[in-house]
Amino acid sequence: MNGLEHATPAVIALLVAAFLLLFREFKRINKGFEHNIRRIPGVDAIEGAVGRCAEQGRAVSFTTALTDVGPVLYACLGVLRSIAKRVAQYKLKLLVPQYSPEAMAVVEDSVRDAYNEAGRSSLFDPESIMFLSSEQFAFASGYMGLLHREKPGAAFLFGSFAAESLVLSEAGQQVGARQVAASASPEQVAFFICTCDYTLIGEELFGASAYLSRDPIQVGTVAAQDRFKLIIVAIISVGVISATISNWFPELSWFKPLNLLSLGWEGK
Amino acid sequence: MEERNQGLSGGGVRRDTRALALRVITFLGGIYFFLYFITPESIIEGTKIKSAHEAISNGFIAVSSMAIGLGVINILMAHGSKFIFLKRGWQYSAALLLGLLIMIGSTLAHWMMTRHSASQIRDVQIIGDFAARIVEDAKLGAGNERSFSPTGVPELSKRVSALESYSLRIIEKIKAEESRVIKIAQGDLATTQLIRDSEQELLGLRESVSTLSANQWNTLDATNESALAQVSQRAAKVASSYAILKRKENGTKFSSRLYDFLYDGLFNHLGASMFALLGVYIAAAAYRAFRIQTFESGLMMAAALVVMLGQISFGKVIYEDMPSIRQWLLEVPNSAAFRAIRLGAGVAGLMLAIRMWLSIESAKSGGDKK
Repeated sequence: MNGLEHATPAVIALLVAAFLLLFREFKRINKGFEHNIRRIPGVDAIEGAVGRCAEQGRAVSFTTALTDVGPVLYACLGVLRSIAKRVAQYKLKLLVPQYSPEAMAVVEDSVRDAYNEAGRSSLFDPESIMFLSSEQFAFASGYMGLLHREKPGAAFLFGSFAAESLVLSEAGQQVGARQVAASASPEQVAFFICTCDYTLIGEELFGASAYLSRDPIQVGTVAAQDRFKLIIVAIISVGVISATISNWFPELSWFKPLNLLSLGWEGK
Repeated sequence: MEERNQGLSGGGVRRDTRALALRVITFLGGIYFFLYFITPESIIEGTKIKSAHEAISNGFIAVSSMAIGLGVINILMAHGSKFIFLKRGWQYSAALLLGLLIMIGSTLAHWMMTRHSASQIRDVQIIGDFAARIVEDAKLGAGNERSFSPTGVPELSKRVSALESYSLRIIEKIKAEESRVIKIAQGDLATTQLIRDSEQELLGLRESVSTLSANQWNTLDATNESALAQVSQRAAKVASSYAILKRKENGTKFSSRLYDFLYDGLFNHLGASMFALLGVYIAAAAYRAFRIQTFESGLMMAAALVVMLGQISFGKVIYEDMPSIRQWLLEVPNSAAFRAIRLGAGVAGLMLAIRMWLSIESAKSGGDKK
């Protein structure tokens, strides 16, 4: 399946719902409403890992690996910003190896902003954001080499990963870095769980930035996505119930409300 | 001091303008794709947008591909300064820069060589295309005594004469190249056989071209049409054997050998070696993960054991339904978890994408610092 090129009426309805939920949350935030965000141990560990580097005088590594410019990268940037700010405050060395040149430009801007916010703009070293390669395993070998040379005390692996995930996280293990990983790809999560100290699974990657910054707009977005998921859960429940009814009572097999979702504009 | 303050405030204005420009560009860039997505296909079909969409999408890709220059600049700056000022690890930087330069040089040389060969092969293909076009044009102008095509091309006889002289020139050129490749081949049987075949094809083409001058070219009769068709067919065969010959010749050149050595011989194999490391790492990671210390890791160990045993024939010997249990584990609990993760990440990505598109950011996350 190559994805949907044009939205069906049901998809548009879901998009409208997403917009409405998002704006509802922003409206509530403007009125002063404060959301609570649950504790994420993996995100709490970030602060501890950077603190450990400060004690040991070791560098901090953060990679977005194969992440290209898109929502996943922006989710990672929130966390990177927070880490870069702490790194600047503790006057540590930051290593941000890059795979995608487009993402590198955005990442560099973000790290520079973080140093400025920390009031340590003079400590910002553009060479800390280094382009390694746009080839998957060339990047992985570059990352391994970098970690073995610099021996960082903490390695953060946030973003999109593929087969190189285990190579990257094993390199961190070998140098004794405290590792926190986050990936929206379930296949790689298993590897991270085996090799990293903490792993953020799926949407936790998107919530991490909100959790760290407590920024109302970001927390509001997390709240909107939770409400949107309730809609999805409701749709799944209707599907399960109707499929069960059709199975138990074949005479009611015409009852397929979820067929409405796949209806096109011509009603077919 | 006042001047400095003015300068700072000017910088602030510039930053605001930049931020505004970024927001407007982001919004406009996004709205096109958003509208394209939500507009029903039946409406899009009737407009020019359908045909322009691919070009617009390619335009966005072209803009993003410009960023590769950023990567090269970053490498040159980071490693160039390390090498020039002999900072710690400058040897690695020197090796990297040398590798980069050699790779760029060999890739450029290889690209230019293949481009030149393609243009030479095209020169041969033109003989066949030209002969076919003469027939096509003459048929268009059928009924006209002098066989003019409606587009006002030269007379049939002039075009055939031009085809003949062009073909003979190309044939001579290929013959000269064949004798050069024979020298390079130095008794290599396969190449010698290839050249012999090519010579035969070339001889056939020369014969077909020679028959052209024997015919009368006032009109396109059946004999003339057949002669031209034969030229076209034989030219295609010559082009094909010439392409093989060029590939063979190119393969012996230094730039090609260097490129093959660096890319196929070194780069690909180094990549494969890195991939092979995964085998070792998987074993190490599995050992760490499967040290049963908690209930969860015990559960994981049991599930992994069943999946592994279900995968091999020995599992069936232990328990007949092992493959079915493995299948159930993968399709039911595993799929459910995968779908839940993907669904959560998808919804989160959608919300973040909407926020990014509309540039809804606060000061904490890089928005307006007011």
